[in-house]
Amino acid sequence: MSLKREVYEALEAVVGKRWISEDEFVLSGNRVKTPEVPFFYHTADAIIIPGSTEEVQKVLRICNENGICFVPLVSGVSAESFANRAGTVLIQLSRMNKIVEINGLDRYAIIEPGVRHVQLYPELRKRGLSYTAAAVGPGGSVLANFTSSSGDHHNQHNASRSNRYLLGVEMVMPDGEIVRTGSLATDSGWFCPDGPGPGLRGLMKGYFGNHGQLGIITRIAIGLTPCNGPSEIESGGISPNHYVRMISPCSKVYVFNFEHIYHVRDAMLKIGEAEIGATVLKYFYLPATLMMTNSANEFHEKWNGGYKEALSMPLVVHLATQSEKEMAYEEKILFEIMEETGGKRIPREIEKWWDEHMDFFMIVSRLQSVLRLGGGWMPIKLGSDSVTHMCEIGRSIGDFIHDFTDTGKIFDAPENYQIIPMEYGHFAHIELLVNWDRTNPAAGKGIGELRIRSRNNDLENKFHAETTGSLNANMEALGPLYSNCHLWLRRIKEAIDPNGIANPLM
Amino acid sequence: MDKLKKYEYSMDSCNHCGQCKWILPPKMHGWDFAEICPIHRYHRFDAYSGQGLLNISKEVLNGKLKIGEGLEKVLWSCTMCGACDVNCKSVRDIEVLETIHTLRTVCAEEGTAPESLLSMAKKVEETHNIYGESHDKRFAWLPEGFEDDKDSDTVLFVGCSAYTHPEIALAAIKILKAGGVKFRLLREEEFCCGASLWRGGLMADAEKLISRNMALFKEKGIKKIITACAECFGSFRGIYPRFGAMEAEVLHITQVAAKLLEEGKITLKTDGEMQKLTYHDPCMLGRLSEPWEAWEGEIKPYGLHVPEKKWRRGFDGVYAEPRAILEAIPGLETVEMPRNKEDALCCAYHSRETDGDMSACTAEERIREAKAMGAEKIVSACPFCLDALSDAMPMEDISVLLARYIEEGGAI
Repeated sequence: MSLKREVYEALEAVVGKRWISEDEFVLSGNRVKTPEVPFFYHTADAIIIPGSTEEVQKVLRICNENGICFVPLVSGVSAESFANRAGTVLIQLSRMNKIVEINGLDRYAIIEPGVRHVQLYPELRKRGLSYTAAAVGPGGSVLANFTSSSGDHHNQHNASRSNRYLLGVEMVMPDGEIVRTGSLATDSGWFCPDGPGPGLRGLMKGYFGNHGQLGIITRIAIGLTPCNGPSEIESGGISPNHYVRMISPCSKVYVFNFEHIYHVRDAMLKIGEAEIGATVLKYFYLPATLMMTNSANEFHEKWNGGYKEALSMPLVVHLATQSEKEMAYEEKILFEIMEETGGKRIPREIEKWWDEHMDFFMIVSRLQSVLRLGGGWMPIKLGSDSVTHMCEIGRSIGDFIHDFTDTGKIFDAPENYQIIPMEYGHFAHIELLVNWDRTNPAAGKGIGELRIRSRNNDLENKFHAETTGSLNANMEALGPLYSNCHLWLRRIKEAIDPNGIANPLM
Repeated sequence: MDKLKKYEYSMDSCNHCGQCKWILPPKMHGWDFAEICPIHRYHRFDAYSGQGLLNISKEVLNGKLKIGEGLEKVLWSCTMCGACDVNCKSVRDIEVLETIHTLRTVCAEEGTAPESLLSMAKKVEETHNIYGESHDKRFAWLPEGFEDDKDSDTVLFVGCSAYTHPEIALAAIKILKAGGVKFRLLREEEFCCGASLWRGGLMADAEKLISRNMALFKEKGIKKIITACAECFGSFRGIYPRFGAMEAEVLHITQVAAKLLEEGKITLKTDGEMQKLTYHDPCMLGRLSEPWEAWEGEIKPYGLHVPEKKWRRGFDGVYAEPRAILEAIPGLETVEMPRNKEDALCCAYHSRETDGDMSACTAEERIREAKAMGAEKIVSACPFCLDALSDAMPMEDISVLLARYIEEGGAI
């Protein structure tokens, strides 16, 4: 299927000949073919690269008038970034890549969709500022992480999650109309998430983000935080043997290992009560080992050579303070808590990796090494609730996952989940990450089965463990657990996008 | 297609994470100068990137895309600089560049190579150099009466670029002479190194020329090859081993010069010149010069390569020696560009004929980056980078720069 000539020409007139293509080889670059999404294979009718909000408006009007579905994307790493049905165009937003403003005084930045973490983070750091960089890796779109995902990240123990920092939003609706939310709606600037009247931010953003199902977000403002720890960063080495250090007595990383998730829970809660620590996370042991190695072979050697045990239930703690005295205080409290909860320091030869790779804490660097085992991977759950609730979910993973690890359907790492507390333990996020042998077709089928088992486990136990917010089949099943929000999502979708052209995921 | 199938694991393993397009995190600098793929930076469509070309390769392999129906446009737009490969391999075990090169080879065998490439190949065949200049003039720049050490088992390989930049070859000779290094020239027996043929995917032509050169080195009993040109250096280290064992040690003139400086065998004068400059890493001296080693084996579940594979991740390029030379020259202040060493932005010279707009735009970007760091001059070690970048900013080859400062042994 291809676009009618007059439609193509109308789109071309908007963006210019250079920024639209229906060449097969260009479309090929964005066809689904990733290891984790081997099961659809759709072709977009065209790829359009608009350069401004005005062009996005005109493009969407043409799409709306002609019943053409559109999918917005930037980095294209997620499965929502591909044509999922016939009669779809992809709207690549990478040309809209300006940092419009960094306001250090009022601590906000206005950005367009094409700005990546690896661009924004250093700009802010130069100004003594930071932000909540979602756990997606350096090439991810900052805007997409604030608007189309939960925005969970490694430092949310003290900084909270990204969606708490979403301020003014400019969004083009499927019919081309522009909606501005928060203080922006009344021309009062970008600084505030909510303005007079109903909070449209919640409608647009919801819990997880709408993946362009309600239109295309073209600009946002995000709240900024002061930099934690020292401003001096030392980096060097040649890839893949890089290092990024914070040489300061006010920055220290400790990694402890625990016997049981309940002990981790107790430690997280006590650390939160004490309000110490910049980063606290129960990290995945498989990615942790992968990040510390430079090849799959080296990974297998280390995993089987003691890392699996040394990191079986690891709690990573980054202390970043304003003074040495404060550091001494936080260290004292931390070690007392570890004594009480049974946390044991992992061998220094492993722990020191974190000292050498502080980019892990800044922009969640080296995360893609989780894909090193051939690319078959899948994040499952991704929900949030209290620390206690999340740790209970973590414990219950063991109720079903061994059917998959013990039979070789997924990599044998049954404890491969992370829990990140936020706001000093008032809330937490969970993610179960599974890797499978992509070269084994039977293993791929096992993933679908695992997702169903995981979801059924959540439904049986009334766990708030899954992501919600996108109109997909999973949501239909989980909606009742979340006050029937799927019914509301459907009504909102039908009201805003009656023609169903904006990234119809279902 | 069997050749392409060899890289199917790489094609299938890409998750579109984008690391092939963006600067390595330890080098992150700011909004600007963050992109490392020349073709993606210019064209913006994801097809124009390592990730996109892996997708295209897969679809050629499975028959969804047909050779000769336009994919050549993106394929030969690629500068083959290897930045995507190094960046991807900072976190993955995927052969991005080898896959792109193999697709080129397959397309070239199907007769879809660009005319400009075929024309260059014809020149190499007829004149043994990429410019189509008379072979008789390959060493025409040598001063009258110049004598090399004809019994030496060390050869200075000057490369085709001596036609256009004889000053580089002359500077290399001056450095070696000043340092007391005995060497010989191959003179009329020196042919093109073949890098352009190989890069273009013209494998039969490349193999013929490379085999001829390797046989010559053997026949002459060459134990050490010093190259004046980054292209030849990267070729001997990264390409030649694919066609047989390279028995000779291969060094670039900057490696030799840095050692001579360290050992005090050459001394430098101060000429009162104060300059702030930046060093541009040529791809073929940096990431692409990493030695190539054959690997045949099995990829077991979860990426285990049996036997273990030695990956080319850009680690073993020549980065330190040029910087040591600049450090040693009195009166110079060097500044680093954000995209440096294994993550340097390519000058895009090699796509001039196939994607001129992209090539020019990339060169402009590199110059903008140098100027933004406050540099007054770019120094590099590759004649092609010199051609790409010198139009808009003062630029000098590092050998030529060093030779100007050499205190003794100045006369050839």
